[in-house]
Amino acid sequence: MSRNTSSSGGSGALSHAYIHYPPLRCKNNGSTGLFYDDGNKLLISPTSNQVVSWKTSPYTPQVASTTDTITEGPVLSIRYSLDLKLIAVQRSNNEVQFWVKETGDTFSQKSKSESDTILGFFWTDCAVCDIVFVKTSGLDLYSYVPELKSLELIDSKKVNVSWYIYTHESRLVLLASGMQCKSFMGYQLSSAGIIRLPRFEMAMAKSDVNSKPVLSAEDVHIVTVYGRIYCLQVDRVAMLLHSYRFYRDAVIQQGSLPVYSTKIAVSVVDNVLLIHQVDAKVIILYDIFADSRTPVSAPLPLLIRGLPRGNISSSQSANDTSVNLYSDDWNFLVPDLVCDVSTGFLWKIHLDLEAISASSSEVPLVLEFLQRRKLEAKKAKDLCLELLRSIMIERRPLPVIFRAVNVLVTSFAYSLKTGSYSKSTPVNSSSSSGVPENSSGNKPGETSGGGFSTSDSEDNINLKKENGENLMVSEDQQESQSQVVTSATIPPDELYTFVFASVEEEMSAFADASYLFSILLEFIRSANLEKIKVHPNIYVLAVRLLGRNERYAELGQFVLNKIIEPSKEVAVELLEGVGSHNIQTRKLGVDMLRQLSLHHDYVVLLVQDGCYLEALRYARKHKVSTVRPSLFLEAAYASNDPQHLAAVLRFFGEFIPGFGTTSEHTTYIRALADMPSSITV
Amino acid sequence: MSRIWISYEWKFISMLPFFPEYWMVQAFDHFGSFVVYIAYRATYQHTYHHPPAFKSIRFSGSHGHSSLPEWITIRIAHNVVNDTEAIVWVCEELEKILFFFPADLPFPAQLSVIGLSEGLITFTRIFSPEAACEVIEAELHSHVFFEAEPDIWMVMVVAKSKETEAIWRIEALRSVLKEIHSLFIMFHGSIRVLLDKEPGGGLTRSHLFTFIMDYLNDFLVGNKFVLPNFRDSLKQRGTVQMLTVGREAAIEVQSLVGALDSCMGNTSSYSLILFQDLLVSTTLTPDDTTNLFSYATSRLTPRVLSSGGSSTWSYLRKGNAEVASRSANIGSGLDGFRIVRPLQHGKWSKGKDGFLVTDIWGVEVGNLVPTTPTLWLQQTEHKMYLCAYQHKSLTIILLIPVTSMLNGEEGISMLKQQLVENVSGKIVKVEEKLAKGWGGENAYHVKGYRYLLVDGDRNISRASPPGKVTTLTKESLLAINKVREDVDLEKSRGNGNHNDEKDLEICMRAKNNAWVIARSTRGKELYIVLEKANETLLYASEAIEKFSDRYCNGAFSLD
Repeated sequence: MSRNTSSSGGSGALSHAYIHYPPLRCKNNGSTGLFYDDGNKLLISPTSNQVVSWKTSPYTPQVASTTDTITEGPVLSIRYSLDLKLIAVQRSNNEVQFWVKETGDTFSQKSKSESDTILGFFWTDCAVCDIVFVKTSGLDLYSYVPELKSLELIDSKKVNVSWYIYTHESRLVLLASGMQCKSFMGYQLSSAGIIRLPRFEMAMAKSDVNSKPVLSAEDVHIVTVYGRIYCLQVDRVAMLLHSYRFYRDAVIQQGSLPVYSTKIAVSVVDNVLLIHQVDAKVIILYDIFADSRTPVSAPLPLLIRGLPRGNISSSQSANDTSVNLYSDDWNFLVPDLVCDVSTGFLWKIHLDLEAISASSSEVPLVLEFLQRRKLEAKKAKDLCLELLRSIMIERRPLPVIFRAVNVLVTSFAYSLKTGSYSKSTPVNSSSSSGVPENSSGNKPGETSGGGFSTSDSEDNINLKKENGENLMVSEDQQESQSQVVTSATIPPDELYTFVFASVEEEMSAFADASYLFSILLEFIRSANLEKIKVHPNIYVLAVRLLGRNERYAELGQFVLNKIIEPSKEVAVELLEGVGSHNIQTRKLGVDMLRQLSLHHDYVVLLVQDGCYLEALRYARKHKVSTVRPSLFLEAAYASNDPQHLAAVLRFFGEFIPGFGTTSEHTTYIRALADMPSSITV
Repeated sequence: MSRIWISYEWKFISMLPFFPEYWMVQAFDHFGSFVVYIAYRATYQHTYHHPPAFKSIRFSGSHGHSSLPEWITIRIAHNVVNDTEAIVWVCEELEKILFFFPADLPFPAQLSVIGLSEGLITFTRIFSPEAACEVIEAELHSHVFFEAEPDIWMVMVVAKSKETEAIWRIEALRSVLKEIHSLFIMFHGSIRVLLDKEPGGGLTRSHLFTFIMDYLNDFLVGNKFVLPNFRDSLKQRGTVQMLTVGREAAIEVQSLVGALDSCMGNTSSYSLILFQDLLVSTTLTPDDTTNLFSYATSRLTPRVLSSGGSSTWSYLRKGNAEVASRSANIGSGLDGFRIVRPLQHGKWSKGKDGFLVTDIWGVEVGNLVPTTPTLWLQQTEHKMYLCAYQHKSLTIILLIPVTSMLNGEEGISMLKQQLVENVSGKIVKVEEKLAKGWGGENAYHVKGYRYLLVDGDRNISRASPPGKVTTLTKESLLAINKVREDVDLEKSRGNGNHNDEKDLEICMRAKNNAWVIARSTRGKELYIVLEKANETLLYASEAIEKFSDRYCNGAFSLD
């Protein structure tokens, strides 16, 4: 990604989130407004008789619009059915009109009484119904009957509604009621069924005894992070953002975050919560994975990247490219889009992982944060490797490094357990069309899990384990990635290649070796706790480091205790690396070869050491037929002892059928005859 | 001229006068090895009331003298010295006795023993300048020689007796001498350095006297010295016994070692961890580990501390009083000098903070805080502070260079505090883990076997638990003692040459039908006694194979 840092302010200021120029331009002439159909991730701009829509997922500024024709009339809201076969347009407070795209047929659904206002509607992939109308009197659940070209009322939930909010992502509709609109009912309409949440009240501070502030819809946000559903509510009086987490049978307040602006917008990018302090034009990031209420970073502004330089000045004018950050026309769309309704620009908000990781000195925490990132997994992974490498080269205190190593190992182990780590597996081929083919509407078996999951996304699995009573959602709409790297977790062999081995190259001092060794040991410890197999190269490195410091006795302990697990690579290092300086270490290598039953190598080694008779005995016992006889014969010949040579020849005569007829046999028989006989009796 | 004893199978070659007092006899033994046969005439000034008969002296090696035989045996039979149980002394150069025990032996008698030893050393040096005399086997006594430092010799004379338990293995006795010396230099530095500092030797004598007396105290049973005899054949002094731990526990231990290291914050600091009387981990060199291990297991481990130094027996106190008065006599100019007695019994105890304390090294004037012990590392000759921390069965010994502690005792107490704050959690965890995996006193017992396994490369040994060894009959023990002696002999032939480590196998059927087996391969030795075993050699050999595969990673399996 280009690092064109020119921002709208031209200051090039540091920021943790950015939008990238050019935006998706959703402007057509005669538009009567912009609507976001979050069920299908479509941005819809109706004109008098047409519906122009842009796919926002996957987000590409160049995406072409599609146009459908409808009859003229007012458009209060518009949504495509989830299979994109129908278009529903709310025409008035009590009428919703439908088009069947295939045939062009239309039909309408009206509320029974004039007073029963339709507040809105949404399509659902719930098993029992297809579309839900939210009315002041409650919910009407309809299913579409194609044969009759009409809706059939399935169920009604009677409840007074002042206003409602719904996100397709969470499949959750929250219905506000009461004088202050702070009393809530909720339903989750997922493929697993309809779940009714207990009624709950939101907290509202009073400025004085008599005033009773009324909660408005724009102050309540449903957010979905790590497959959990939260509700964030702005308390304008207390200047706090209260958070509630939804469980199957309870709504639990989770604590509050401070806000510094009367207008608050919320985005979720890659499970990170972005709280836009609209007045202050800054963003505060929260990663509420571990129920931590500490921001990831300090408040920083949003940045525009990729803005052509020449346009900065001209952006002051009402130019096409003008970007007015946090203008009143900015609409924040779930989860990570911003639409400027005045210009028709649609921006997608990105996280700047590099900037985030650079802004904190608490490396283990940063690593934890990065490990949880999925959208830019490759980048997160590279950053993790680089961070670990650099803190080691900077020789940060060992406890810090240990924590960092533990974070990476734990995270990798976790991804192994959940099965999400697999290099070769292609990414969820999740369709971005908005058709919930990925959601478990097609997978009835899924519901038996007892949880609320509507998809098999890994987060859901993990949360299911963590809390069976969680209210969870699918992430079927998550943006698909074309990258091979699906997870920021780092397998041990890569940790070796990109961190340990590369650090070793740069560290050559005596003390460095023991420093690096301590880290390796901690890594081995951590891997052992998580039952991860450690790459033999790491053990080889450990052996080399101990050898460099001449800690031979300790090396012996490590090998005997099998802290350094036996492998051929380690044996070779013990034999030829460290073993060339220390005879005891060499013996460890010999023993290791034997213990590993590497018969061939062991025999060759014995021959090399001149113990060829011993090697022959071993070869016979373990039936090692892969070693060439010439090796032994040469060794015996070189010893200049005819007895030995004769013994070897005789052995092979018996051991290898037909050896007597080979040319080798004749050569050495002759050589034996030529040998000066030293046997004098 | 006294009588000459010649083994009948030897081929007599020549005989010539050597010194006025000596005759040299050259002979080949029946293997064709060259043997020098020495006759010793009993006209030596200080020697014995009866002319000695020669029996056997051996000394090994003849480095750099290719013309000389590889192996020289001198057999001497003589009847010297009364029935003293043991004599240990260190002599330096001529006529200078640094230590003699028993001290109450008349001076002329002392001189006569020394004179003989000196004569032999001088004489054997002619053939083997680098490794002189090792042992004289007389009819009633064995004289064991050990050159502790150049020109500083330790000699032990033990009485032989067929009827009593006095059947010795020479190497076992020599290892006692070695241990005395290495412990001594660990605490006091080398004798040579002490002598150089103070040529009169008074201080050295007092140090040696108190030190060796404290050491010998460990061998006192009743009022008799019981030196390692044939009953200790399945033991190896001067080696370390390790705790076998699983991989996970081993990793935790090493992680603790790392934490200790970073706590001490100095690359030349070391740590040693013991569980009960077994070594768990060390960062020291093998030699220093061995020394510190034998000190720890005899003075510091929970077992020793809980026994409360029970062996402070009354005779010793009397002896100590003698020592004090005697050393005062010797070191006339030593008034006010404090002799540190690291081997003194019952002087260590566990403090409230978990650290072991002792006043052996004195007490700081004014505040009564004991001075932190110090010792010397063998190889680097660095002076180190010794801090020992104990948690239940776990004993942790830390060695910190004295030079790195600029503010001395204050620094040590700060370090201790830091250790308690940062590492004690880990220590508790490791102790729990080890205690869980610990199989008890008889953990390393292998049913049906009585064994000793020595890893010479690593100075490690493991043996059947002592309680199990005592079930062996005297015949078996005598047989294994004999076999060990043979292996010792064989080993000393290829002295110090690692490439020449010979594989060796001895399988012996003892009188009581027990199998006594020794195997040696690549620096490792295995001794096994199988009583109540089947009579075939095949059975014995299979039993060894099984043991080797199961407990030694197949190291002793015959290929």
